[in-house]
Amino acid sequence: MNDGLLLLVGTAKGLFILRGGKGKWSLDGPHFPGLAVYSAFLDQRKGRNEMWAAPASWHFGAELCKSTDMGKTWDQPEKRRIKMPATTRKPLENIWQITAGGDNDSLYVGVAPAALFESHDRGETWSLNKGLWKHPHRKQWQPGFGGLCLHTIVTDPKNPKDIKIAISTGGVYQTADGGESWKVTNTGVSAYFMPNKYPEFGQCVHKIARHPSKKKLFFLQNHHGVYRSRDGAITWEEIESGLPSNFGFGLTVSEAGSAFIVPLQKDAERFTCEGKLRVYRTRDEGKSWQPLTKGLPQKNAYEVILRDAVTSTGNNIFFGTKNGKLFASHNDGDSWKMIEGSLPEICCVKAYTL
Amino acid sequence: MKVYLSGHLKQFAGGETEVSLPGSFTSVGEALGGLWSLHPALRDRVLDEQGKIRTHVNVFLGEKSVKQSDGLATPVDADELHIFNAVSGG
Repeated sequence: MNDGLLLLVGTAKGLFILRGGKGKWSLDGPHFPGLAVYSAFLDQRKGRNEMWAAPASWHFGAELCKSTDMGKTWDQPEKRRIKMPATTRKPLENIWQITAGGDNDSLYVGVAPAALFESHDRGETWSLNKGLWKHPHRKQWQPGFGGLCLHTIVTDPKNPKDIKIAISTGGVYQTADGGESWKVTNTGVSAYFMPNKYPEFGQCVHKIARHPSKKKLFFLQNHHGVYRSRDGAITWEEIESGLPSNFGFGLTVSEAGSAFIVPLQKDAERFTCEGKLRVYRTRDEGKSWQPLTKGLPQKNAYEVILRDAVTSTGNNIFFGTKNGKLFASHNDGDSWKMIEGSLPEICCVKAYTL
Repeated sequence: MKVYLSGHLKQFAGGETEVSLPGSFTSVGEALGGLWSLHPALRDRVLDEQGKIRTHVNVFLGEKSVKQSDGLATPVDADELHIFNAVSGG
């Protein structure tokens, strides 16, 4: 059965492609068996349906691969597409994000060590964004457990020069000139682990996401802290009232404008609070949060949900856990169903309406 | 010189795990250059962008680890090169 939805599920042991929807799902994979896939993307612009994924080998490094037949076959180019230039004196560690640019042909890739690559010809050629690479803050950014990673890229189809990114640890940066210059925009976001709790930069921002229609409204899941911005991700205010914890990784905003997070117990523990798998939803821009439990285990459920493992398309919400469980909601979070229970550790989930 | 590849790498070497390199070489780096000329896709998998042997890849000249010798500058004094993944992962 195919109800017109497609999921790209990157795991520690390969990429799985699921097709289906409200009925049964079919699963295809693993593609790149044994390799960790932290990022994947389906480029649907102009009906081209080009699929991208970034398998990473512990031994032989990470690379960006492309499929032009919806995942049946993948290329592995002789010369890898994403390579740190020799002048950086750094090797590529991992590819954390693949995102469409605001125009029809641009693509952006976020990597560790905290760099942005860009292509303006549908991925034929790639180059390092020098404005960000030369940012004076770079020397003071610090790696987290996942390395010093640029893991989030938010672009704007109405203004391709507007790009917002998040780095762990560095925080939120944005450009208004297509990447020539970048300004730091962490005002109000805590770095509780630093001597100065509210530094200009150095925050460990885990994910940011934009509201689908209110273009200046953003949500942010921090390393301890949940925030909202109403001025285009420039200044931030806490929206934690009603949450069991302000720690977590993933975040998504549905077509209806609902924001979803999965709180985890504190930094030192990092599993679902009280052994209950609860998604929290706000429909009033963070003034209140509702725990969503219907269809989710509420006993002995010690799950971890990573930063790119919460996603949505339309009002279909999905998340995956490090224990390999994949959940879906087709009613903006009101109820949930487990659609896979024994995948490898889930690193990313990307959802598309076909 | 004969190069022996781990099975993981054969997809980048025309499906082979043994490659014969014609000619003679003074250093391991030079020998690897000969290997890249036959199978260019191996280079990005064995070396990182900065030209170093990847952390979790081992290159042995005969029975000697070149990482514990002079790296790519290790003089060639054997006729077998072994390239394989280190015992690591999760």
